[in-house]
Amino acid sequence: MLETSELELTRSTLNQPAEFSQPVVADDTAATPSHTQANKPMLLTDEAIKLQVKDLNLYYGQKRALNNVSMVIPEKKVTAFIGPSGCGKSTLLRCFNRMNDLVDSCRIEGEILMDGKNIYDKDVDVPELRRQVGMVFQKPNPFPKSIYENVAYGLRLQGVKSKRVLDTVVENSLRGAALWDEVKDRLHDNAFGLSGGQQQRLVIARAIAIEPEVILLDEPASALDPISTLKIEELIYELKNRYTIVIVTHNMQQAARVSDYTAFMFMGDLVEHSATDELFTNPVKKQTEDYITGRYG
Amino acid sequence: MSELLSNAGQKPPSLMPNAQQRARLRRVRNIRDGISRYGVAAAGMAVVGALGLIFFYLFSEVFPLLRSSSLEIDKRYTSSAVTSVDPGVHLTLDRYEEIGASFTRQGSVNFFRAEDGQVFMTKPMPMADQAELTATGTSTPADGLVIYGFSDGRIGVAKPEYALSYPNDKRLVTPGLGYPLGEEPVVLDEQGDALRHVAIQQGPNAIYVAAATEDKRLLLGVFSARASILGITRVSQDVYPLPSLPEGIGVTAMQLDRTGRHLAIADDQANLYLFDISRPDKVRPPEKVPSARGRITAMQFLVGTGSLAVGTDAGKVSQWFLVRDEDNRYHLKPVRDFKALPGKVTTIAPEYNRRGFWVGDDRGNVAAYYGTSSRSLLMKSVTDTAVRHLAISPINSRLLVMDEKQQILSADVWNKHPEISFSSLWQKVWYEGRSAPEYIWQASSGSDASEAKMSLVPLSIGTLKAALFAMLFAIPLGIMGAIYSAYFMTPKLRGYVKPTIEIMEALPTVILGFLAGLWLAPFIENHLPATFSILFLMPVMMLVIAFAWSRLPTALRAKVPDGWEAVILVLPIILTAWASVAASPHVEVLLFDGSMRQWFTDQGISYDQRNALVVGIAMGFAVIPTIFSIAEDALFNVPRHLTQGSLALGATRWQTMVGVVLPTASPGIFSAIMMGFGRAVGETMIVLMATGNSPIVNFNIFEGMRTLSANIAVELPETAVGSSHFRVLFLAALALLALTFIVNTLAEIVRQRLRRRYSSL
Repeated sequence: MLETSELELTRSTLNQPAEFSQPVVADDTAATPSHTQANKPMLLTDEAIKLQVKDLNLYYGQKRALNNVSMVIPEKKVTAFIGPSGCGKSTLLRCFNRMNDLVDSCRIEGEILMDGKNIYDKDVDVPELRRQVGMVFQKPNPFPKSIYENVAYGLRLQGVKSKRVLDTVVENSLRGAALWDEVKDRLHDNAFGLSGGQQQRLVIARAIAIEPEVILLDEPASALDPISTLKIEELIYELKNRYTIVIVTHNMQQAARVSDYTAFMFMGDLVEHSATDELFTNPVKKQTEDYITGRYG
Repeated sequence: MSELLSNAGQKPPSLMPNAQQRARLRRVRNIRDGISRYGVAAAGMAVVGALGLIFFYLFSEVFPLLRSSSLEIDKRYTSSAVTSVDPGVHLTLDRYEEIGASFTRQGSVNFFRAEDGQVFMTKPMPMADQAELTATGTSTPADGLVIYGFSDGRIGVAKPEYALSYPNDKRLVTPGLGYPLGEEPVVLDEQGDALRHVAIQQGPNAIYVAAATEDKRLLLGVFSARASILGITRVSQDVYPLPSLPEGIGVTAMQLDRTGRHLAIADDQANLYLFDISRPDKVRPPEKVPSARGRITAMQFLVGTGSLAVGTDAGKVSQWFLVRDEDNRYHLKPVRDFKALPGKVTTIAPEYNRRGFWVGDDRGNVAAYYGTSSRSLLMKSVTDTAVRHLAISPINSRLLVMDEKQQILSADVWNKHPEISFSSLWQKVWYEGRSAPEYIWQASSGSDASEAKMSLVPLSIGTLKAALFAMLFAIPLGIMGAIYSAYFMTPKLRGYVKPTIEIMEALPTVILGFLAGLWLAPFIENHLPATFSILFLMPVMMLVIAFAWSRLPTALRAKVPDGWEAVILVLPIILTAWASVAASPHVEVLLFDGSMRQWFTDQGISYDQRNALVVGIAMGFAVIPTIFSIAEDALFNVPRHLTQGSLALGATRWQTMVGVVLPTASPGIFSAIMMGFGRAVGETMIVLMATGNSPIVNFNIFEGMRTLSANIAVELPETAVGSSHFRVLFLAALALLALTFIVNTLAEIVRQRLRRRYSSL
């Protein structure tokens, strides 16, 4: 049963839709395609490309977790990864800032290009890559420090010592994460005193304080209540003007609400990747349709 | 609903146990629950109780130290031993506190029952016929000599002796009188002048007698008495004239020390004179010291004759030492003053085997003092007339007081631990024979002549010193090792390393101590340059290797998997150690004239073979597993999402370690250090075997120390149960227990706080 479905999946990966494989070609030949038209329908071909995944295979020991994934992430847009648990969407997300390097048994084949440069090249400085590609985890993970120090942490790592610079950046970042008004009077209290939603926004503030180009969000709202979730979603909407955002979510409504593009993954394969409206209203693949209509997942 | 079920057709048979079975199970469960709950609670309480009992026991052994001395007069009687015609010159009490002895002016010694004063035996003193008794004196009470000086220049000496027998299994004490210089008086002053003052002391080989004659001459007699096998006592005597005191001065008291080197004289003008009589034929004029406390009315050497108890007409009581100066000359110096008596001091009775003394005044007060601890133990008004004589028993629990009305008072005394006071335990004390106050621990010696020195300061310093050097060695290794294995090492290697280090904790410390004392200490002594070069070269070498490693081509580096880099260091570490040891003798020859130890001595640094360096290393090894294990756990348990959060912000692994992991684990690391410190403070076997156990007060790494714990282990088996020494050792144990208890409690509180801090994550 499982084997057959895997076989089917492999087949479906091979027969990738034309509209998906196009951007890869486009990027190889020409530079950034023009995207003057902001009108619908949105097409990946029209977007500036920030990240490009080429034939990515990822293994945990003997187990293959990503199968020949190829895709593009458009600049200053929100791309959502959806799919059932264990389909590899978080794994793929963590490839973008090489967090999978921390897993001993993890092995990667293929390339991920950021602005045309392979981030898996030997000469890539991983900490600098991670500064450019920020990440927010599922569970809020503020450090056991004050709110101020949490936000200033990334800057201090970059050697910033000036109090004035730090103050400015902390304020701007907290404003950017829509948290300033709530915490401005207790910047030096322990971050654990904040609510879960506030902590998550604090973590986002921490991420944007070091001016990343890409922000990876790994189910950022799954541990939060509906109101906090709403605030996070509003925040994502705000942030996409300045950053390229990739979000992993279990929540299809959330994907539909916040993202411009959506990729559906299943069992390590990228099944379908297109404009969000397109994917939710008119999926090309049967598997996608089954998933978004709730037939499994 | 039931309709629905019936519609659904046949209900499947229930496989659950029926109600009765379930009820039984519930009962059994409840019983088990109760048993375990109360059982666990009882066991917990038992642990707390046991700890409490240990504390209670230790405290109960220490408590008598805190009890103050007391004196209870339980008998008053008049005795035929003393009469108004002949009030006696001296009073003593025997070891069993049954027999008193009164030395009378008529020349007899009356032994009387201490409980009612009935005289049951009388012995004669050596008396000169047709001569009058003009002076008397006594030696220290342990020697018990009493001297009579007569108007014809002769002296008689006797001492009470008590024979012990057990007829019919009952103790019978038979008193008698011994005559060290024979039963007949001996001539001291060839000129036959009357002796106005006499002093006597038993030396190791001779009896020393000093006398002041009617015509103000001073005489010193050295008598060597030898009893032949025929029972005839032969006395060889040498009499030397001493330089006279200045004109117009009357002697009020006179004392000789047991070495025959010093003669102390008090005059009637409140001055003291010290004669150096070590060469009796060449005695120089004495040094004059004003007492500054009034005219001296009584003066007695305390046991060991290292110090004088001096009482004045103003009631002032002080202790004076014979202090040696740089030129090896002795001077009389007042060392401590005690609480003054209201009246004029009339008599001083030193205790037999310790540095306490009893003082009576002319208003009926009796007071007890103790030298070492500077304590004025008690003062009590016992009678309404002057106190004439005091006799304290050799076991210090009964006091006889004779007053001006020839009434004898017998008092029950509780005075078991006068030598202990806060100052004697924790402050500098001026001990006999020393030139200045010091901290010294020397609680026991071969004889009572040596003053017991029980300062806990050297032991506490020693404990801290041992712990300090052990921690200096263990903290960097333990913490750094924990950081590496918890955060950088690959899990597989960590799986070997951590249990290996933790198993070191099970190593018996006696083996570590044995190795340290018998192998490591001589090894270090013989390879001092190697020891230092290992200590300094090892970290340098590691840094160099690490740097070289980072410069190697990536292809080569990639061959060693992440987290296994530490293994590369093993060979260089062994090589460095070997090279250091191999080069050591050559370095010594080249730089230190062949012996670094000798070189240290030449530089004025004293070097003991068993020193703090050896202890630091050996005890460090014992402490490392504790520190490593707890610190490693704390570091390893820092939540992964925190480290990942930091790494995702562009931090390097080192930045993450310093910025997030260390601060988060810091309470755990603190607790690890405290646990290690607690262990190092309480550790016994290693310090016992590897320190040399010399109770010195310094932090020199090349000298040893004696710790509280090792001191208890060394001295408790050989101290008398119930003695002050015994109780001070218990006090040390209590202090040690309290210290480790505090340290561990602190560590535990911090750990609890750590746990609470993480519960919010």
